[in-house]
Amino acid sequence: MTLVLNRIDDRLIHGQVVVGWGQPLDVRFIVLVDDAVAASDWEKELYRMGVPPEMEVRFHSAAEAAPLLDVYRTESHPGILLTGDIATMRELVLHGGVREVNVGGIHHRAGRRQYLRYVFLTADEQRALREVAALGALVTAQDVPAARAVPLEEMLASGEVAS
Amino acid sequence: MRELLPLSMLGGILGLDVVCFPQMMISRPLVGATVAGAFVGDATTGLMVGVTLELIALATLPFGASRYPEWGSAAVVGGAIAAALRVSPAGTITIGVLATLATAWVGGWTLVKLRQWNAWLARRKRGALEAGARGTVVGLQLIGLTSDLLRAMALTAVAYALLFPVARPTVALWSFSQTLSRAVTVGAACAVAAAAAWTIFHSARGARWYFAGGLVIGLLLLALR
Amino acid sequence: MTAAARSYPAPDPAPHVSALTWVSVFIRMLAIQGSWNYETLLGNGVGFALEPALRRLPGGVHTDAFKAAMTRESAYFNAHPYLASVAVGALARAELSGVPPERIERFRTAICGPLGSVGDRLVWAGWLPLSSLVALVTFGLGARPLAVVLTFVLMYNVGHFGLRIWGLHVGWTRGLAVASALANPVLRNGPAYIARAAAALAGVAIPLAAARVVGRDGLLLDFVLAASALIAVALVRVHGRVEGWKLVLVLIALFALVSVIR
Repeated sequence: MTLVLNRIDDRLIHGQVVVGWGQPLDVRFIVLVDDAVAASDWEKELYRMGVPPEMEVRFHSAAEAAPLLDVYRTESHPGILLTGDIATMRELVLHGGVREVNVGGIHHRAGRRQYLRYVFLTADEQRALREVAALGALVTAQDVPAARAVPLEEMLASGEVAS
Repeated sequence: MRELLPLSMLGGILGLDVVCFPQMMISRPLVGATVAGAFVGDATTGLMVGVTLELIALATLPFGASRYPEWGSAAVVGGAIAAALRVSPAGTITIGVLATLATAWVGGWTLVKLRQWNAWLARRKRGALEAGARGTVVGLQLIGLTSDLLRAMALTAVAYALLFPVARPTVALWSFSQTLSRAVTVGAACAVAAAAAWTIFHSARGARWYFAGGLVIGLLLLALR
Repeated sequence: MTAAARSYPAPDPAPHVSALTWVSVFIRMLAIQGSWNYETLLGNGVGFALEPALRRLPGGVHTDAFKAAMTRESAYFNAHPYLASVAVGALARAELSGVPPERIERFRTAICGPLGSVGDRLVWAGWLPLSSLVALVTFGLGARPLAVVLTFVLMYNVGHFGLRIWGLHVGWTRGLAVASALANPVLRNGPAYIARAAAALAGVAIPLAAARVVGRDGLLLDFVLAASALIAVALVRVHGRVEGWKLVLVLIALFALVSVIR
């Protein structure tokens, strides 16, 4: 098996990831790539509490993770690659091998504009997502498996609340 | 349609329970359809609709930010319609389930609109929120709760008023037998329930064997009757 | 002791909060999602639930400290609504003990995901379907409407209210060190036990419930159960990408149409 989902979600590990995607895809490990979390023992401990005992979480900074992704793709069980922001995912796409990117949740903050009910972006983040697509990754927005995968250009064209 | 006002109040309370208050899951279709059926005079028909819907609802996990059907108000509509049409029983359960699913779909959309309305209100009050005004925090919460109650009441009233006049002639023209109609409806619901049980529980070690064991017990109980 | 506990020891001694304040906080927690929206999610609800406790800050509601706390606690927050009580208890303790704001904000951000994930597994994907299935079995065994409804409502809410009360208590007693409470065996291993029990009950409930709804036509019931199994396999194979309730809506709408026009 391989990394079956490459997701950007600022909530990192939460119900939609662990139950919503994790159960139907039979996910056994999550590769959580976030510089701040990777450097904080108590946050790592917290996130480990958020997954069932049979699911493993591996924490990395972006720089550590990029060369390890090929190893994770050879694992015998399905896994999820998870970043909390677009910049980190872009770094991983740049390294190669990430062909599809799922935008699962980027929430409201000052300076961000709403595109979908769960996607808010600044102008820089919008550009960064386009760069990810230009690097060859198929970028879609989809919060849970049963929802429609919204293509990047359709999402950016909507510019207001859709879906 | 004397029942419209009390039903819309019931739908309001159960619709409020889905997300806002108190989330005791009295909004589950098993409860909503049965109570609505009892309201109209036939709890057993309401229960049949509620059980069929509960099997379907096993597959809808209400994760906070995702979009899901609003079962509370919808089950009141479906349970009440089925119970009110009990004199010609062939298609009543099917029609009750159909009315609930259609209302639940629209109800899910109204929940999205309510959340956008709440966001709009919060944006307008951003200055006060950033200044730590407790009156604003409490006010936004109370407006949100009231809006949801009114949303669910209106949804129940409109859905019942629109669907009941369609349901009555549909049941009158129904040509399949009661047994076949119920079999198709509950059969579809059982398929969803079985798929949901597999999806939700299969990752627990040995769960498939527990399911198989349960199935053997269930079928044995049926055979022994 | 976990790393989280080592990083954020609970402040001592506990500030005094009256029973009446706790009742007020608890009732407000039942409405924590009252203004749920796509920007702050249940952030405003956390501020709303904490407000009676924050009134106990030195100087009361007209101080800068109170207003700063209200601003902090009403910002974006996301968690399972029942387990948000853990955060509410911990944040009340932190605010009333004078923990530095940056620590509170860091904790508030980090606790969201784990509380959401644990709550979703334990409640939405565990206790709720288990309670439904117990009620469906009682229905299949011939129980009357009131008994079926009460079975579900009482069983579900023992767990529901128990979890909220436990969460508030453990949050308050452990403060920002509450992460260690998430290692509680009920939270860690409970979902797996519940899943096994629910899987067994699903096996019992589905044929029994179908039989009671359809009636005593044995051959038709056999056909229904076999067809259901085939459709269920197809639904599982699409990995949750088709919503079952929409499929049922389309199927029985077509069935109703044929029944009326034939």
